[in-house]
Amino acid sequence: MAIIQINQLVKEYRTNKRFTGPFGLIKSLLSTEYVNTRAVDGISFSIDSGESVGYLGPNGAGKSTMIKMLTGILVPTAGDIQVDGKIPYRHRKEIARKIGVVFGQRSQLWWDLPVVDSFELHKHIYNISDSDYNSRVQQYIELLDMGSFVNKPVRQLSLGQRMRAEIALALLHNPEILFLDEPTIGLDVIAKHNIRTFLRQVNQETNVAIMLTTHDLKDIEEICDRIIIVNHGKSVFDGDVHHLKREIGGINKQVTIEFHIDPGEIAFPNALLIRDEGVRKKYEFIHHEGEENSLMRSIMSIPNVDQIKDISIEDMSIEEIIHKAFVNLNQNSKIRV
Amino acid sequence: MTMRAYLAYCGKSFSKHISYRSEVWLRIIGNIVIMFIQVSIWKSLAASSPSHMLNISEMVTYSVITTSVMNLLMTRVYQSIDSKLQSGDICSDLQKPISYPWYLFFEQLGTVGFQLLFNVVPSILIALLLFGIQLPEASNLLPFLISLFLAMIISFLIGYLVALIAFWFLTTFALNWTLGALMTVFSGVFVPIWFFNPFWAELANMLPFQYLGYIPSAIYLGKIEQPYLILLQGCGWAATLLLVVNLLWWKAIKRLIVQGG
Repeated sequence: MAIIQINQLVKEYRTNKRFTGPFGLIKSLLSTEYVNTRAVDGISFSIDSGESVGYLGPNGAGKSTMIKMLTGILVPTAGDIQVDGKIPYRHRKEIARKIGVVFGQRSQLWWDLPVVDSFELHKHIYNISDSDYNSRVQQYIELLDMGSFVNKPVRQLSLGQRMRAEIALALLHNPEILFLDEPTIGLDVIAKHNIRTFLRQVNQETNVAIMLTTHDLKDIEEICDRIIIVNHGKSVFDGDVHHLKREIGGINKQVTIEFHIDPGEIAFPNALLIRDEGVRKKYEFIHHEGEENSLMRSIMSIPNVDQIKDISIEDMSIEEIIHKAFVNLNQNSKIRV
Repeated sequence: MTMRAYLAYCGKSFSKHISYRSEVWLRIIGNIVIMFIQVSIWKSLAASSPSHMLNISEMVTYSVITTSVMNLLMTRVYQSIDSKLQSGDICSDLQKPISYPWYLFFEQLGTVGFQLLFNVVPSILIALLLFGIQLPEASNLLPFLISLFLAMIISFLIGYLVALIAFWFLTTFALNWTLGALMTVFSGVFVPIWFFNPFWAELANMLPFQYLGYIPSAIYLGKIEQPYLILLQGCGWAATLLLVVNLLWWKAIKRLIVQGG
């Protein structure tokens, strides 16, 4: 059953036109010219209950705008939007009971008060029964390992602790959809991992639909079954992770190898040389299906392997993936799923 | 049951303030300083003017009461909205199944409750020892309490009005500046309206700001002949503001612009 349905949704922002030049400032103040920017430009998709969807895109792709429209705090310029069969901006308060929202860069907790105080307040706002409240709080304290800090004021928590509390808070009223706007931003590797594991578990056990926006591809790989990639307000890709990898020919890796002394030219059959600074060389290893460990084997098989001082391996960034998805999709227009 | 949620907000807002204990002391000191300055000015004025012009004990009482009333006003509600509009935190507030205006009101009520208990009452006690204040006549006590309540309501509505206008301009700085100036003059905090010349007094009487300082203090001192009539007019102001505010809120919610992202 589709819990979110969006059809040809458009959101335009109208802003005053800014002028430059010596009188630009005055002109900007007096002018009545406006610039329209389309943050969301004709996007359609639907999400079923219990699904977990990653909503991916570079900065300014209209991700947060989409979440704001879905939660009913922004009114779309055109198109249809339905959450749980209702139009969010007309039924803001009803929709609010069905959704939980976490903003990675904002806090819904009361800064000066202990974490439990925010939980208690949430209990009253969402009218949660005592027994439900107690059992859920107990459960989340255990699952998210919050025992050591639930009684501390929020301002004394680390970012990782705060994020765990934010997520628990958003889930307290047992929502049907959980929106997460960059939930792992600024967290260290372990904290990221814990949060991802928890979200995956909650999604599978409670059947809450998850829609998360992120910059971090790992978030998507570990939490989501499905990816929607947006760029410049348009949906570029909609499908599962394997599908994306197949579409764009796999996720290439960029490898920088540093040698003690310049080994001269080194070529790999499965990689392109991007930059050669003598002792430091950067390659892009092309991904091939079924050859996941060929990268290390290639590197270990070069004759100067004992001269290697340092190696760093990076995934492609979201921007590069989107670029690649774009190029591939333009070559081959049938691909949209 | 929803009432429970708003009362919970009220309570949390109250306890939020308690977490900064030094602020309690600083505010009390601040109040006493303001009262002291006003009392000193009136005393020096009294010394250089004919004795029938200024009743010094009356003026001391007036200063203490207006300063205290100022602490109970809810005009600061716009600050809360302003900072939330700037940071975008308003999203989180709007995503809750509550009525936003009521939420704001109860949040302010918690603040006022805190101010009353930890700021106004101690300040008045200290002022009583330092300067001495007149006690009200029994018949003025009820209208005085009503006027305090009215001051809270009207101040909330004015602050909220400013906050709503911020939905259009996305900043309250200029408005807040203007409001500050209007309140300083027309609420009669520093100079009671009975000292205004006829033109300015007339103007002050036509504005709602007098309910935020002058009216409660004047009722307390028994300076107003028909307090209930004045209070009724105040209710009229509250109703008018309520209407305007509801209209604006209805429009604001239709064209929500949330900054950032």
